[in-house]
Amino acid sequence: MSEEIVRIKGTKAGLQLLFAAGATYAAIEAEIREKLAAGSGFFCRGTVMHALAGSLPEEEMEKLRRLFHENGVIFSVSRAHFAPQAETQRPSPAQEAVQAASSQAAAGEETTQMVVVNRTLRGGQEVRTKCSVLVCGNVNPGAQIIAGGSIDIRGTCRGMVHAGAYGNQEAFVIADCLVPTQIRIADLIARAPDKTPAASERPTRPERASIKDGQIVIEPIER
Amino acid sequence: MSEVIVITSGKGGVGKTTTTANLGMGLAMRGKKVVLVDTDTGLRNLDLLLGLENRIMYDLVDVTQGRVPYKKALVRHKKQESLFLLPTSQVKDKTAVNPEELVKLCTELRKEFDYILIDCPAGIEQGFQTAIAAADCAIVVTMPEISAVRDADKIIGELGRADKENVKLVVNRIRPQMVEKGDMLDMEDINDILSIECIGQVPDDEMVVTSTNRGEPCILMDHSLAGQAYRNIVGRILGEKVPFMTFPKEGFFSRLKRVFNL
Repeated sequence: MSEEIVRIKGTKAGLQLLFAAGATYAAIEAEIREKLAAGSGFFCRGTVMHALAGSLPEEEMEKLRRLFHENGVIFSVSRAHFAPQAETQRPSPAQEAVQAASSQAAAGEETTQMVVVNRTLRGGQEVRTKCSVLVCGNVNPGAQIIAGGSIDIRGTCRGMVHAGAYGNQEAFVIADCLVPTQIRIADLIARAPDKTPAASERPTRPERASIKDGQIVIEPIER
Repeated sequence: MSEVIVITSGKGGVGKTTTTANLGMGLAMRGKKVVLVDTDTGLRNLDLLLGLENRIMYDLVDVTQGRVPYKKALVRHKKQESLFLLPTSQVKDKTAVNPEELVKLCTELRKEFDYILIDCPAGIEQGFQTAIAAADCAIVVTMPEISAVRDADKIIGELGRADKENVKLVVNRIRPQMVEKGDMLDMEDINDILSIECIGQVPDDEMVVTSTNRGEPCILMDHSLAGQAYRNIVGRILGEKVPFMTFPKEGFFSRLKRVFNL
């Protein structure tokens, strides 16, 4: 058999999608469909699939994202410089990761580190770190993330998030669906409107919250 | 082979004990040998729902403290030969049983029974930690209500912390009419937050109250909607593919009755 067009590699941050050089999009899509159909149990709900940005044109990435989404797989395009950093983190429960990260942070490498949480944070669970945080899963109401750096949530954010908790005004919060109870960035606080939005009014695109002119603003972004 | 299932919820009053009694009865009706272990020490109810209060001789605390072998404490159900209850003490409190003791007891029970259902107390303190210690899988009971869902979420997190990854959901006391009007959380809202496999949707049914007071689980009543829902859950636990029941729309007469407040 000839070389596979699509390879799925397990990395410590999740699954990574690799394409053979020179493969056409049609061939790639056909092979992914085949893999999804064959291994339906393997790609369980909420599996995160990474692909390197730039390995395919933007609109083809979007098509793939939709294809994976139909099958319940979270597809994320990671910027090239992002992935190796995520791989250096051990896949450990949040608490351990946080401890490991904070001991490293004490050694003076604060913002270069990132804590990766590969599961849903449920009510009452907390991630507290001096680094940035990447969550592959949801952040449920009652959960909180307190990060010295920025927070990226590949899922729905319904909890309390605090980016730049140690004064970093440049920190931001990104989520696929950003509906938190509170967003705090540095020393600013924004809270959700008192009326809970209906399902239809919830944001359908990824959004970013950051500080602009002394206020927390939320704007839609492209991933 | 044998399976230890803990039925838990976090919040009180959502129907853990009712669910335990009904699922136990249902599994026994399907020919399984079942024991129900009540771990809600100090606030025991499971015996009442099964109508077995007056037959209790010894309890869980007597067994775990080694005063009697567990076989002496078991109460066989009046009608269902293969259903047993291991009641707990009403005078002691949750500190009377610790996790290691319950694990040891369950290891013994496994030799004898197909299903061991543990009725967990409300809360996340010691009683909860004891109840989940021996479980292979957990059934989280919740209600379509924001506080119950919030607590269920917390409980699923706690179960994950204790390495219990096999967690299933039962949504109890659904009122289809309220869901339809948008006054109650629907299954989609609940799945959005909890995102675990749902094995049961039980409608709110007045017959549950009647059956509780009579000491006969409503799964025995052929015409009870909740009973039907519990029978479906039993099927799913046994690995059958049972479609979820559709709730009947409010009919003309019942609406008329409601309007005239009959």
